[in-house]
Amino acid sequence: MACKGSGVQSPSAPPKLNLYALKKSHRKIPAIRKNQTENYRLLQDLMDHVPDVIYFKDLKGRLLLVNKAHAKGLGLRPEQVAGKSDFDFFPEERAEMMAKDDQRVFKSGKPIIDKIERATRADGIDNYVSTTKIPRFDAKGRVIGLIGITRDITKRMQIARVSEEEKVLKKRLESLEELNRLKSEFISVVSHELRTPLAIVKEGVNLIYEGLAGGISEKQKKLLSQARENIERLKKLIDDLLDLSRIEAGRVKLSYSLVNLSDLLRNSAEFFQKQARDKEITLKYDLPRERINIFLDGERINQVVSNLISNAIKFTEEGGRVTVELQALENKIRIGVIDTGIGIAKHDIPKLFSRFTQLSKDTGTARKGMGLGLSIAKELVELHGGEIWAESKPGVGSKFYFTIPRYYSIRVLDEFVRRKVNELLTQGLKMHLINFLFIDYKEFVRHLKVKPTDLFSALRAIIEAALGKLLPKPERRRPYIHTDASKGECSIILPEITEKSALKVCALLKAGLDRYLTNNKFANAFIAMGLLSYTHKIRLKERARIPARVFVKEMYVGSEMRKHRRINYKATVEIICGNKQEESRTIDISEGGICFSAKCPLKTDAVIKTKLKIAKDKILHLKGRVAWVREEQKDFYRMGLQFLSVNPKTKKALSRFIRAISRARSG
Amino acid sequence: MSKKRILIVEDEAALVDMLKLRLEASGYATLTAYDGIEALAKAKKEKPDLIILDLMLPKIDGYKVCRMLKFDEKYKNIPIIIFTARAQESDKKIGKDVGADAYITKPFEPQTLLTKIKELLEGK
Repeated sequence: MACKGSGVQSPSAPPKLNLYALKKSHRKIPAIRKNQTENYRLLQDLMDHVPDVIYFKDLKGRLLLVNKAHAKGLGLRPEQVAGKSDFDFFPEERAEMMAKDDQRVFKSGKPIIDKIERATRADGIDNYVSTTKIPRFDAKGRVIGLIGITRDITKRMQIARVSEEEKVLKKRLESLEELNRLKSEFISVVSHELRTPLAIVKEGVNLIYEGLAGGISEKQKKLLSQARENIERLKKLIDDLLDLSRIEAGRVKLSYSLVNLSDLLRNSAEFFQKQARDKEITLKYDLPRERINIFLDGERINQVVSNLISNAIKFTEEGGRVTVELQALENKIRIGVIDTGIGIAKHDIPKLFSRFTQLSKDTGTARKGMGLGLSIAKELVELHGGEIWAESKPGVGSKFYFTIPRYYSIRVLDEFVRRKVNELLTQGLKMHLINFLFIDYKEFVRHLKVKPTDLFSALRAIIEAALGKLLPKPERRRPYIHTDASKGECSIILPEITEKSALKVCALLKAGLDRYLTNNKFANAFIAMGLLSYTHKIRLKERARIPARVFVKEMYVGSEMRKHRRINYKATVEIICGNKQEESRTIDISEGGICFSAKCPLKTDAVIKTKLKIAKDKILHLKGRVAWVREEQKDFYRMGLQFLSVNPKTKKALSRFIRAISRARSG
Repeated sequence: MSKKRILIVEDEAALVDMLKLRLEASGYATLTAYDGIEALAKAKKEKPDLIILDLMLPKIDGYKVCRMLKFDEKYKNIPIIIFTARAQESDKKIGKDVGADAYITKPFEPQTLLTKIKELLEGK
């Protein structure tokens, strides 16, 4: 008996289908018959649409009924499948396995539920299926066949496997972290244990050397002198080892304050001048006139600089020259230590900043080894968010450079403001700093009809009005205002306020200043205003691009000033250096320069011509100087280029381009 | 003028001998203690002019000794130089917290120690 229009197919040939249910129902009253039709439809839907493979087998393993999914899986239609058995469709081995399961169900009358099997497809991919076989009984309880449901669980297995893999990886990560921690602790304990005996040896030797334990001969003195030198060497090694292990374990906290870089560099100078003089080396400091104050860890940067200078002196021969230079780049400052020493072989340069480097011995000179200093320097510089790199030519000399990000406006802060900022930081307060200054102040003052001091008193009043509107009174949060009428600068320290509020203050100030200047007809006033934030809390683990998340948000009063807004953009830039040409995709573009990656590092301060493609038919020719270099991966370098004297037409095109892109992005 | 008396608290005998030699050569009289309990007893009994205090001591550690002396009206004016192999910033901070007047790490520069001693004794 066939059901019209249903997807359920019964075989037309024997064996006969026991359509008990059907027969019975037809004897029932029409209402129920209608129900049966409903039921058939439901069953039909089940068989047609369920993605699981559903089939009915008789005791001989022949397929009585299969659903669409089953047939489809074989690439057939249901009517082609009915009446056949597994042996007609599957390899004998597999069919035998299936038959075995069938027999088990028939014999025991018990179902097999959720048996997971694996089948490898022709393309080599493993499929996993879950098989369920349920016995069918007649009225007398005898087994007459089975119902089978097979479900593809390949995906489920994949997910399970992935999560298993994840678990394994997680465990491995945990044990690695534990190992790392133990290693740090070990180093900490060991260095401590090493220091005490070393202290005893050192003092023992010193006492004898100084004659405090009786007279000594020249010969003895000489021997002891060598011993003393090596005791120092050992001490330094232990200190460095401990330092490095702590830095690597993330246990070093940078202690930020606003530091005048020229002061920092000159301080180290005194100590090294003596060493240099002893070797008849000229130690020169090439520092810019402007005061450059940077937010950094003074002690640690001093450590870096000292390491570089001491290496330079160590590896330069008598009569040589070591120069320490400081340069302010657009967003960074760069410190360089350049010597005329023995230099470093090209293949040794990549190894310089890794630990315990043994440089090639073929230079022939007696070396004292580099130790850990450079790897510590690298860690410290990178903790600050800077880069460190080296260039060298054997026999000529070496150049070591490092950069520190400079989240700061172009002009410098007065000593007072610097001290105040640091004072608040040591109290654990965070703050925002608003700086504004008059551009070309001298010129501006010349045309002023009032005294500069009067101008600044008026400005103070405006500031206080703006602050009064917005800020709470509590003592800790009192703002500090510092003005300098002689330089045309003003700084406002706002402790413990949110960036949102700080920006509101800036907006109010801008409006106030604008109004004041217009009302008083100060036609040529250009004020640059900047906002910075300082916080003492630095989460080093994240190695975030530094604590002062600043980016100077510049606002202008009066006419707009040329400013270096920066965008991140993928454009092609062709780099022409001498006779070498390289193409690279840029990363950052600003009016001040670009930052890009390339396969070979360019020389620091080298002047490069570039062709920057900003549109299909628009190429800008820009000349620039290599400001910094960083090795991202082996043979892959990222570099910063600072533009030199861009011609006005190109400059205009570039800034229009940058503005358009940033507007499009923010809009 | 009588010699200034310095109490050396250190459990490494060799180092004690060396410090004695060094300090006596510089004109100071010395007292010694090899553990925390002895240190406290001698400090209270002898009232030295200055104490050089190691941290890793048996019985009671240097920090405790320092704190106990500094928080006692009678002895808080005795300058204490902490003398230790621990050189971390965090250790130095703890030193400050317990009231130490100076912190010298091992291995040490003899001159640095002597200058510090002089400063602290004159500061009195």
